[in-house]
Amino acid sequence: MNYDICIIGSGAGASPVAYTLANAGAKVLVLEKGPWLTEKEFYKDELAISLRDAYNPNLNDEQHVIEDQYENDNGDLFWQGEATSESGSTFWNGTVVGGSSNFMSGYFHRLKPFDFRLKSEFGAIDGANVVDWPISYNDLEPFYAMVDKHVGVSGKHVDHPFAEPHSTDFDYPPLAEHPVAVWIDKTAEKLGVHSIPIPRAVLSQPAMGRRSCEYSGYCSNYGCSSGAKGSGRAALLNNAVAGGNCTIKPESKVYKIDTDNDGQISGVLFYDRQNRKHKVTAKYYVVACQAIETSRLLLASKGNKFPKGLANNNEQVGKNLLFSAGGTGQGDFIFENMSKQQVNELTRVGPFLNRSLQDWYQINDKTFSHDTKNSMTKNIRAKGGTLDFLFYQNPVSRAFGSQRDSDGGLVWGEQLKLNLKKEFTTYKTLRFEVFNDWLPTDDCFVTLDNKVTDKWGDPVAKVRVGFHPHDLKVGEYIAAKGEEFLIAMGATNVSSGVSGSPPPNLQAGGCRFGNDPKTSVLNKYCQAHEVDNLFVTDGSFMPTGGSVPYTYTIYANAFRVAEHIKQRWQASI
Amino acid sequence: MNYFFDKRYKTPQWLQEKSWYKNNKSRRAFLKSAAGVIAITSTTTSLPSSAVALSKTSIKNNQWRITPLWKTLNAVLDHLLPKSSTGPSAQDIHALQYLHNVVTLQPTSEAEITFIKKGVGWLNGYSQSQLNKLFIDLNTVQKETILRGISKSQAGENWISTLLSYIFEAMLTPEIYGGNPEHIGEKWLNHQAGFPLPKAGTRYYELPGAYRISEKITPQKIKRNSKA
Repeated sequence: MNYDICIIGSGAGASPVAYTLANAGAKVLVLEKGPWLTEKEFYKDELAISLRDAYNPNLNDEQHVIEDQYENDNGDLFWQGEATSESGSTFWNGTVVGGSSNFMSGYFHRLKPFDFRLKSEFGAIDGANVVDWPISYNDLEPFYAMVDKHVGVSGKHVDHPFAEPHSTDFDYPPLAEHPVAVWIDKTAEKLGVHSIPIPRAVLSQPAMGRRSCEYSGYCSNYGCSSGAKGSGRAALLNNAVAGGNCTIKPESKVYKIDTDNDGQISGVLFYDRQNRKHKVTAKYYVVACQAIETSRLLLASKGNKFPKGLANNNEQVGKNLLFSAGGTGQGDFIFENMSKQQVNELTRVGPFLNRSLQDWYQINDKTFSHDTKNSMTKNIRAKGGTLDFLFYQNPVSRAFGSQRDSDGGLVWGEQLKLNLKKEFTTYKTLRFEVFNDWLPTDDCFVTLDNKVTDKWGDPVAKVRVGFHPHDLKVGEYIAAKGEEFLIAMGATNVSSGVSGSPPPNLQAGGCRFGNDPKTSVLNKYCQAHEVDNLFVTDGSFMPTGGSVPYTYTIYANAFRVAEHIKQRWQASI
Repeated sequence: MNYFFDKRYKTPQWLQEKSWYKNNKSRRAFLKSAAGVIAITSTTTSLPSSAVALSKTSIKNNQWRITPLWKTLNAVLDHLLPKSSTGPSAQDIHALQYLHNVVTLQPTSEAEITFIKKGVGWLNGYSQSQLNKLFIDLNTVQKETILRGISKSQAGENWISTLLSYIFEAMLTPEIYGGNPEHIGEKWLNHQAGFPLPKAGTRYYELPGAYRISEKITPQKIKRNSKA
């Protein structure tokens, strides 16, 4: 069958395109490498989520090679790759229909208007490939609003120094809040900062055929059994399929995109579950496999017109890969120092903590006065980031450590019981996470590995994961603010850690959009400069990532691009 | 011969990848330390087992419990988490059943299963060399002496740590996996499980697509924005 639209991938970048085009009457095919699970198959399963990797490929079958930087005995730095089947550090984030959006937290912060013009606002940084986006916040804002409505975002607006403009109110009221949210609000007031309720892509009311949140207390990382979480599958693909115009082929692994002598895509090649090869054709092709795999697929899709890979004649595919910079921090609240009511509030399970601070989304501090090329102009403004608060559940992970005494020796028997009891019943840890820009550099990119292949014999992605030192500086600045905040709340054992290790679940870039084909892969509509019938709609398009989790922006941009594809498709029929 | 103390032993890759093993190790440090590691299977395949049968045999119902292998493992688990008034024991949390399921039902790597089983042989070998008895025939004080003894070797510490990690899992994971009957472990530790919980037919290795599940234990990912 010849489709109007063929979409490779089914997550946050893919599902808005399927939804928009299928509802417009186009025949849409979605090819997803993983299986098609539904609400009936998602549980709060500690083993599946936290201790085994139940929703991703076996690393012996499919993996990555991660290039990290090392120092030899002479102090020389060098890059060395290691296959993830060896390290065990998986970079898969949910290989099922709906992709990683099934397992997201759904912290839906928007980018700020100045995130779209990072270079103009904050200047160049040596060693970083910072550029402005080819679109503005105003261009994307209506599509953020579309996400609020169709994916389902629950929240409320509050004013704060870096609040971005919204054209509409949230369609769903805030989720029920954990009592500690009030503690955070009070501390923020005391410190003169602004406690912000985090908008969440979780329904607080039943809507659109989905149930509302059931407040099990286990949300992030876990698949949602009520349908409240706004995964691409639950919120958009189910609707698209129900309309009759969208076909999803799960367990279909695309390995190459074919092109003709004119440089247009002539078909997509994939393996089915039995490893049989198939080819499908469409008018328009959309790639949204998550940033690393999208670059890998384009690089692997060589043709007469594209000897270096699809849309890669300017050698931009895979470049300027982004993760999210920052780190984590934590502080303990000791029960014996608290009232019974405070302990009861602290240990509640179910409602959402949902609090963040963005007072340092832009930093005015002399700490950063020498980081810009314009330092002589005494420009001390620097791009900062977001600080989100959260609790962990994950009891087995918490238990690990109880088998050690203070000297690191193994304990068991009565001492083990005492340690476990103390660990679980005498305190609770409040954590924060820092999100700041992972600056694009020449040391963070995707290529094809020339040795390691997947189970089908195709080269895997090799990912160099270098970071810019400025990322650490910003992260540490905000983490210090987080530590101060926890101390002001009355926490003890306060600490934080900021590193350049890439969080594998926060990927973007690799096919940045822009107006110049020599420095970007996609135009402002996320259409490949070099290929008329190719669009990329996952986070790959982002030239800079902002200082918030990416999923909200990926959804919004995919809705924006979907509208453009829809208009082109409608004009063609 | 006391194989826990075999100097050729190096902690194998599959064990280094476990989150509890990697705890407090940076990812970069881990990558460096991984170089030159020799897989345990290559160092131990020629080593004899002593008092236990290591071959995978089909043992129906609960007959497996009375085999030397599982009787020894049961004795070790009981010693690691003994019966007392301070909290549930290995028996209370069904630690042996859970461990049996890890070995026979969950997609656990053959290297790890081999290590667990061979450890029983090494334990008995050490016990016989020190006290001229199998481990199950020792009294509590002697068991403590033997386990403390083997924990001084890297292999012995790894083996005990592996069993302790499965005690934690038996205590705090959904009952359908074999441990934690009626949430006994969670109740003891005032921990509230989520819902719904998996049931027969929907354990993680029974879901559509489960044929792909890695035998590896996922390490602690450097993820953020990842918890409730």
